[in-house]
Amino acid sequence: MRAHRPLAPYLFIAPALIVFGFAVLVPFVFTGAFSLTEWDGYSEAVFVGVDNYVRAFGDTVFQQSFVNVVIYILVTLVVEVLVGLVLAGIAISVTRGSLWFRVAIFTPVMLPMVVVAVLWSFIYNPDFGLVNGALRALGLEDWTRVWLGDEQTALLAICLVSGWVYAGFYMTIFYAALRQVPTEVVEAARLDGARENTIFWRVRVPIIRNSIEVAILLCVTGGFQSFDLFYVLTNGGPYHSTEIPTTYLVQSVFHTGQVGYGSAMAVVLTAVVVTIGLIATAIRRRGDSDDRPSRKSARNTTRNTARNTVAQPDPADTASVPTLEVVR
Amino acid sequence: MRRVAHARPLRAATAASTANKRLHSAAGVAVVGVVVLALAGCAGGGASAADDKTLRVAMGSPGEAQIRVWESVAEQFEAANDGWKVDLNFQDDDMYQTIGLPNLLNGRNAPDVYFEWAGNRLATRNDDGFVADLTPFVEDGPLTGVLEDDQYGAVTADGRILMVPHIADVTNVLWYNTEILDAEGLEAPTSWDELLEVCDTLAADGIVPIASGNKDLWAAGNWLAHLVSRVVGHEEYDKALSGQADFDTPEWKTAFGYVEDLAEHKCVNESVNAIDDNEGAQLFFQGKAAMHAIGSWLVSWAIDEAPDLDFDFVNLPAMPGEADPDSVIGVITGYVVNAKSGHDKQEKAAEFLALLSSAENTQAFIEAEAVPVTATASASIDERTIRLNSLLSEAPVVISPPDTGYDLDVADAFYRSLAEVLGGRTSADDAVTQLQEQTSK
Repeated sequence: MRAHRPLAPYLFIAPALIVFGFAVLVPFVFTGAFSLTEWDGYSEAVFVGVDNYVRAFGDTVFQQSFVNVVIYILVTLVVEVLVGLVLAGIAISVTRGSLWFRVAIFTPVMLPMVVVAVLWSFIYNPDFGLVNGALRALGLEDWTRVWLGDEQTALLAICLVSGWVYAGFYMTIFYAALRQVPTEVVEAARLDGARENTIFWRVRVPIIRNSIEVAILLCVTGGFQSFDLFYVLTNGGPYHSTEIPTTYLVQSVFHTGQVGYGSAMAVVLTAVVVTIGLIATAIRRRGDSDDRPSRKSARNTTRNTARNTVAQPDPADTASVPTLEVVR
Repeated sequence: MRRVAHARPLRAATAASTANKRLHSAAGVAVVGVVVLALAGCAGGGASAADDKTLRVAMGSPGEAQIRVWESVAEQFEAANDGWKVDLNFQDDDMYQTIGLPNLLNGRNAPDVYFEWAGNRLATRNDDGFVADLTPFVEDGPLTGVLEDDQYGAVTADGRILMVPHIADVTNVLWYNTEILDAEGLEAPTSWDELLEVCDTLAADGIVPIASGNKDLWAAGNWLAHLVSRVVGHEEYDKALSGQADFDTPEWKTAFGYVEDLAEHKCVNESVNAIDDNEGAQLFFQGKAAMHAIGSWLVSWAIDEAPDLDFDFVNLPAMPGEADPDSVIGVITGYVVNAKSGHDKQEKAAEFLALLSSAENTQAFIEAEAVPVTATASASIDERTIRLNSLLSEAPVVISPPDTGYDLDVADAFYRSLAEVLGGRTSADDAVTQLQEQTSK
């Protein structure tokens, strides 16, 4: 059969495709092309094949930048996602002042990251900063550090700033999801004698599993895209201890004019992020397909689940998670 | 859905057909639009508006006071040249120094006059065909008599004058807080041993001897580059940074060893590699540090931010050995005329640069706390600035800073290795070996 308006669907998506093409696809293709050249951005580009990729894979600083960003992501999974989840749990539990609590925690998200970075560079300043000042005032002189100038503390210091900003963002996502949890499930657990802490970890959290998965994916992929915080606070220093792929490639392209090499690093970074995204999607699909066969039996055991959670207060036990997911 | 559509009566089908045609037309227009946009976007290609009557001038932002002078010069030029307009483009300094200028030069409206540093950067622009030969304008044209012939020495290559020098900066001397040194009973150090002695005394009394904010690597990098050049000699320094000689030699290791001494004697603030040049200067301005190693621009900066600060300078203390004991590290900056601008525009650009260097405008720049090379000693110039200019002009050897005089890759590796030694992270020998490995790649 012939579609009556065969072009209509394409026209509807044309604006988005054009924007995507010019903003993403064309730059990506050009970046791929530049990555095969030695080019400073304005003089004649020289084709060098895969030399830039060979160099990137042998570049210890580039390798270190991936180690650093993985550490950053692991720490931010805790200080952003986990802390955000806990904050959302607190916000959903408190009956008075929840709005002010949420506004206070969310406020840093609204600040431009560069402003946040400048603000925290003052806080961390070893000579005039708030952190060392407070430590000295408390008689803890020995605890003072050059927070952003010490290899041992610089990356952690950045992670904490990141957590300060984004915990509020993830709290908002989780809070919205927690609001959708059916009250009858929570009430059932309460009637069965479950404490709020148990209800949160064993009832609410498994039900919002999808939101948590999205948050983790956002945190991981967003971690690879981090730039401004690192750039302003340490610019990759000291001694590359906070160098991440984005700061290193910006350094290569915009400071030393190695557009070809920087492009190769950008392609590698893109490939890594896309691969992680695909793996996450595959895991998600597998999880969904594993859930499907148990759907019928899950329906039958829904009511018992809340009771079971009371009998098994260990929050680490996730045996009931798929069952509750199906309830949703 | 499809069945319903085919079951429509004829009139409806005709209407649908008309709509379909419109959709085709709209699609065609969209495709043509995209192609036109794409072609328009690609049409730049570095072509400059060579024949219009707009003189485009590009530079990093020199600050509000100097921007007012530039605007005044532009007005004077427009008043004297009927129909001509001057378009001033001030970019963020770092942006301009890195990707800003190359982008502008390759854009549709490339600058006709642009700021540049003498040395490797100017040579690169020249190699890329963005530098007009100003010799005819200097010999017999608008620029005749504006500067002395010898002032073009550092900006001449193969007999071609490439730039009109505007300001000569000493990029590093050792500034000191007179009151702190007096209170400690110390003199400003003029030799290496004196410097270490001063460091020991100050550090023992809980005062930071030398403040430096080296997060961006150039601040201490400039200072230490000068220091090591005094040990290896300016010729060896030039060869190594130009890639014509190795770093991995006993002389370089000895030179880096002196940087190691600075770290061991706690001569610099512990936060040296964590704070930027502004924060480093604040340590000096607020009296937390007795000395500060930075360039000639500190004079106007300190007068603005710490008007009560009593400060003076000495050149880098003489190093042991006899290599260039009186050398000065400095750089000439000025304005280049774009070779891709048409001949008429090049001539107008030369007229503009001559106007910029007039006595009246030179005085305006001095009042805006910049001292052009055309300035002569006067009451309105800070006495320390006059001495700095003399230091540079009378120096037997002028050392080029690595980041403006040489390839940025090499400069960056060089600065990083110096920062590691100064921060006490790497030994002198290892740093030199690493530097050799990095620059050999």
